[in-house]
Amino acid sequence: MGAVYRLTVRQLAGGWRLLIMAGLAAGPVLFTMLVLSAGGSPRVDQFEQVVIDAMLAGAILPLIVLASAAAAFSNELEDKTLANLTLAPIARWRIVLPKLLAALTVAAPFVVLSTLAVSYLAYLGDGRAVLAVTLAAFIGVLLYSAFFLWLGLKSTQAMGIGLLYVVVWEGFFTGLVSGARVLSLRHYAASLMHGFDARRFATETMLSFPAAVVMAVLVVAGFLWLSVRRLRKMDVP
Amino acid sequence: MIRVEAVSRWFGSVVAVSDVSFEIAPGITGLLGPNGAGKTTLLRMMTGLAKTSSGRVTVFGEPVRNNPALYRRIGVMSEHETVYGFLTGHEFVTLMARLRRVADPGAAADRAIALVDLLEAQHRRMDTYSRGMRQRMRLAATLVHDPEILLLDEPLNGADPRQRVHFQALLRRLAEQGRTIVLSSHILEEVEQLADTVLLIVNGKLAASGGIRAIRAALDQRPYHVRIGCSDGRRLAALVVALPSVEAVHLDPDGSVVVLSRNVRDLQIELPKLAQNAAIALRRVEPLDDSLESVFGYLVEG
Repeated sequence: MGAVYRLTVRQLAGGWRLLIMAGLAAGPVLFTMLVLSAGGSPRVDQFEQVVIDAMLAGAILPLIVLASAAAAFSNELEDKTLANLTLAPIARWRIVLPKLLAALTVAAPFVVLSTLAVSYLAYLGDGRAVLAVTLAAFIGVLLYSAFFLWLGLKSTQAMGIGLLYVVVWEGFFTGLVSGARVLSLRHYAASLMHGFDARRFATETMLSFPAAVVMAVLVVAGFLWLSVRRLRKMDVP
Repeated sequence: MIRVEAVSRWFGSVVAVSDVSFEIAPGITGLLGPNGAGKTTLLRMMTGLAKTSSGRVTVFGEPVRNNPALYRRIGVMSEHETVYGFLTGHEFVTLMARLRRVADPGAAADRAIALVDLLEAQHRRMDTYSRGMRQRMRLAATLVHDPEILLLDEPLNGADPRQRVHFQALLRRLAEQGRTIVLSSHILEEVEQLADTVLLIVNGKLAASGGIRAIRAALDQRPYHVRIGCSDGRRLAALVVALPSVEAVHLDPDGSVVVLSRNVRDLQIELPKLAQNAAIALRRVEPLDDSLESVFGYLVEG
């Protein structure tokens, strides 16, 4: 497992990818600092809506994870190097799991640090709220990673499909039809955040905390299972 | 060792491999056929990388598909020449050794790299390698776990003549140690120099199989069409038809003579003498159906 993990981290950490992720992660932090230094004092709920919900959860987090997790398999498929791994005497889950962990290793620090910095500025003095937001962001990274990892194995258009999911489904459709949130990773992560600190965030969650935990577990386990199954069934180039 | 039973593979309405059966024993077996004949698809099914549409492939009596444990005993070098360019050659071969559960990956990598004679470049990144060097390092990665069976898809692609000689000697040595080696190629001479047995694949079917000499003899005896451009086609046609090596003669409207022969070697000797004696100038002698496809096509029809 360690060999696949280290290989994938090196694949994902190469070249332009880290720079783009760093740029994306720095965006919300810079925006927050700009607003605060300009003398503006937005209300916390405004801040949550614009920076944490729209910017971080709605765009930065899924985009950073998409760049990392979708590439974990799709790079191998494009380069036709996946056979190096599948021709090894190891169970397929021993390929999928380290790929997921490697995608997490690359994407999570950017998202977690960005979220930590922004929530610290927003909830100064409220450690529990900072922790709730940061922890939910990390779980969000895990959920999207599992989904995009499978997508990278399933389709050569993983980046495009992932982008459509983030922009059209989560960004537009779930805002239009509230029932659609039942199938939204962003909503699961948000529901968990509300559960972690119900005192501050318990407002209009659709999912209870236990239901959000169950859905999160199902998403990660389900997409891992689908990835293993795909790896067993597919023709490896 | 390897048993292929009534294996077919189709992609939509395109049949890539059709009802192929054979068994492969230790030694070097050449999978020969023109480009697009289905060799790679067949080889990929033999490695378990691709599924069969029907039929089955077994290795050591076990189905090869979805049976990762078998890869301890099989080494595969695919047709794709892409590598992890950010790794050095040594890192790549060591990685393959680790993935294949070799006890001492570093030492195994050293041995495998020495086998392919690439020690001097082993600590360079692979994206700086030439095509031939990449192929050799990929072969080292294929050999690193000392497999009993080697499945190699067009392994000599990109190799220069010196590398070819080295590579062929290495494969012969490995075969002498009792290994089963299958190598695919579209070049008859390449297979002829290495393989004890040949499986000839044409249009997804097994056109012929057996010893290389029998296949070569069948190829030599096939009828050839030869076009002869000369100063007096009508007279040459009348003379050439009497040669024992010639079966039929046809005079083209442009004045050239098309000869059907089953013994081209004799024709090569007799024709210049005949032309010289008759004071006919030969301008051009060209085989009309000497492409690999036509050679294989003849065997399929036969």
